[in-house]
Amino acid sequence: MKRRTALKIVGLGAIVPAEWAAVAQDQALAWSPKDYQLRFFTKDENLLLDKLTEMIIPADQHSSGAHAAKVSLFADLMVATSNDAVKTEWRNGLRLMQEVAARSSIEAALAKAAEHEGSPQTGLERFFKTLKEMTVNGYYTSAIGIHQDLQYQGNTYLASFPGCTMPNIAKED
Amino acid sequence: MQEFDVCIVGSGAAGGTMAKELCEGGAKVILLEAGVEVHPSQLLSHKWPYELPYRGLRAEKQAPFYPKDISAVWYKNSDKVGVDRVRVLGGRTMHWNAVCLRYAPQDFRERSLHGIEEDWPLSYEDLAPYYDRIEQIIGVCGLDDHLEILPAGRHYMPPIPWRCSEHILQRTTRKMGIPLIAVRKALNTRPYDGRPPCHYCGHCMDGCDVSAIFSSPDCMLPKARATGNFTLRQNAVAREILADREGRARAVSFVDRRTKQEEQVKAKIIVVCCATVESARLLLNSRSPQHPAGVGNSSGVVGRYLHGHLGVGLNVYLKELEGVKPFNQDGATDSVYIPRYNQLFGKSDYAGGWGIQMNFASYMFPHAALDLPGYGPSFKERVRKMQPGFLFFGSFGKVLARPENYVSVDRARVDDYGIPIPVVHFRFGENDRALTRAMEQSMLEIGSRLKGTVFPHFGAGPGGFASHEVGTIRMGNNPKTSALNGFCQSHDVKNLFVTDGSCFTTTSEKNPTLTIMALSMRAADYIKRKRKIGEL
Repeated sequence: MKRRTALKIVGLGAIVPAEWAAVAQDQALAWSPKDYQLRFFTKDENLLLDKLTEMIIPADQHSSGAHAAKVSLFADLMVATSNDAVKTEWRNGLRLMQEVAARSSIEAALAKAAEHEGSPQTGLERFFKTLKEMTVNGYYTSAIGIHQDLQYQGNTYLASFPGCTMPNIAKED
Repeated sequence: MQEFDVCIVGSGAAGGTMAKELCEGGAKVILLEAGVEVHPSQLLSHKWPYELPYRGLRAEKQAPFYPKDISAVWYKNSDKVGVDRVRVLGGRTMHWNAVCLRYAPQDFRERSLHGIEEDWPLSYEDLAPYYDRIEQIIGVCGLDDHLEILPAGRHYMPPIPWRCSEHILQRTTRKMGIPLIAVRKALNTRPYDGRPPCHYCGHCMDGCDVSAIFSSPDCMLPKARATGNFTLRQNAVAREILADREGRARAVSFVDRRTKQEEQVKAKIIVVCCATVESARLLLNSRSPQHPAGVGNSSGVVGRYLHGHLGVGLNVYLKELEGVKPFNQDGATDSVYIPRYNQLFGKSDYAGGWGIQMNFASYMFPHAALDLPGYGPSFKERVRKMQPGFLFFGSFGKVLARPENYVSVDRARVDDYGIPIPVVHFRFGENDRALTRAMEQSMLEIGSRLKGTVFPHFGAGPGGFASHEVGTIRMGNNPKTSALNGFCQSHDVKNLFVTDGSCFTTTSEKNPTLTIMALSMRAADYIKRKRKIGEL
């Protein structure tokens, strides 16, 4: 925690109920991709991660992909605030990916990592599961994932809920 | 020190009901609550994931309900269960999906009908008038489906309209002989009791910011307050119930979270409504020469018979809805419910059954993306096209009440206030495992008959309790094998009552909150009668 953040929380202590301290702390950690500074990954690691996440969820004609959604920065925040085991998994996983890519290409490395997705055997294959889960979580909780890609229509105030509006389905009952 | 007629500990479904009823009956009531009010403006329900520090993936929306300083619990040699202890004003009514199901007559008679567990010391007929009254007070939407396994009320608001996926589901369940009904929820589908109707944001479980869902602070406590007989004390962490020389309860000692000072409140009657784990903890922590094993625990039953619900999930993505233009399907989370049905298909080799709640999840996040193999453009397109067909099954199954599953306290482990924390000891039994297997198999069968892609989310074994834990201070006719009589009154200490889920003798597959409120109301009536004739 940054010192300034800690002071802010201590300062609020007198007026904020105890149970809000944790939330206040989390809010203080909130980040904006615009000014986000890497906390865990190196610049090279972030570059590699950015490419990998974009390959997992790429831009297409319908919507932008993981790069535009800044999924690698989301991953950095999540890993930076996790325990040492998680940090080690990511550092080693990206190193493995880089090693395989150096011998072939990044495309081949990702394909190799994803080869046995259902039952991963190697460290590289196990890392793919972690990488993909982070990419999915980061992308589909971003504004791009929710609004542009899925075109999610909820989280709003409705005067009434119409239920099924597809007459060919509703009428069969 | 001022003496109150009644001191209630805990402000959730049971405590709120008790406070309203007794205050309206003329009693001077003080209610002690360990937590504080979470004002609607403090709820994060409508925040987008990208507005939250960790996108909501670290339960940021729920954080206000679980203050860390009073939430410690130790799972010792325990299977995969979670005990849900919302520690704010209103308890779990602030963080619930509001499904309100009556127990059926047979649910009170497990020993007589099936030779398992124990019968309750009361019948459905005893409780039915209180189900009627409580449903009227809290407001429940739904329909009378004329099902023996799920008795209906007489005062329902109109049901929530069904989604397309649920109409499609009904075609399949109908062919299988499985009932599918409108869900019954304490949710306003029209203005009710001065509260507005639902605005269908799909965030029931994150806290309702307009009080369209019933909660104790929005519905019960204002009615108690209006009588002029009600005193609320927040930040009051109960340490123990103090007894007089005759062993009667005389006061509750508590710690003020803000000042850390020890205080006492004196009352003629004490009603414990802290929920299953906390209530057992409080009674077990209340040791005295008169009650060496904890107040109301001469039987040794207090803390034992911890049980709750099994939970199993399965996602289906319906082919018929694949690729349709996205539309708002969130509604009020559940619209339909599959009541217990295994009893319709002959005798099984296990006891109990399950019900299935449908779609109590938002459509915002595409869970299929975590289940589908692959990556790249085709993966992304497939996730997008499948999402409108999302259909979520969440089943709740009965767990048997067994004495070897229990809550204890450990004097060596204390919370921030020096109060011994609860210790949970729980192992699933063979019947629980058999029921889980049957439940999973049946859900897979329904899923496989639907045209679509099925993703079961089954664990390696049973898991619980789905926030529905009960049974640690159970009712019964025999004081040697139960702690409370049929009116939730301690066998040992006549001016001590426990009316939350811990008083359940057994659980059914149904969500317990409506029954908790009906039992609390019945106990309140009993207290009022006894006070009137000077017996309490």
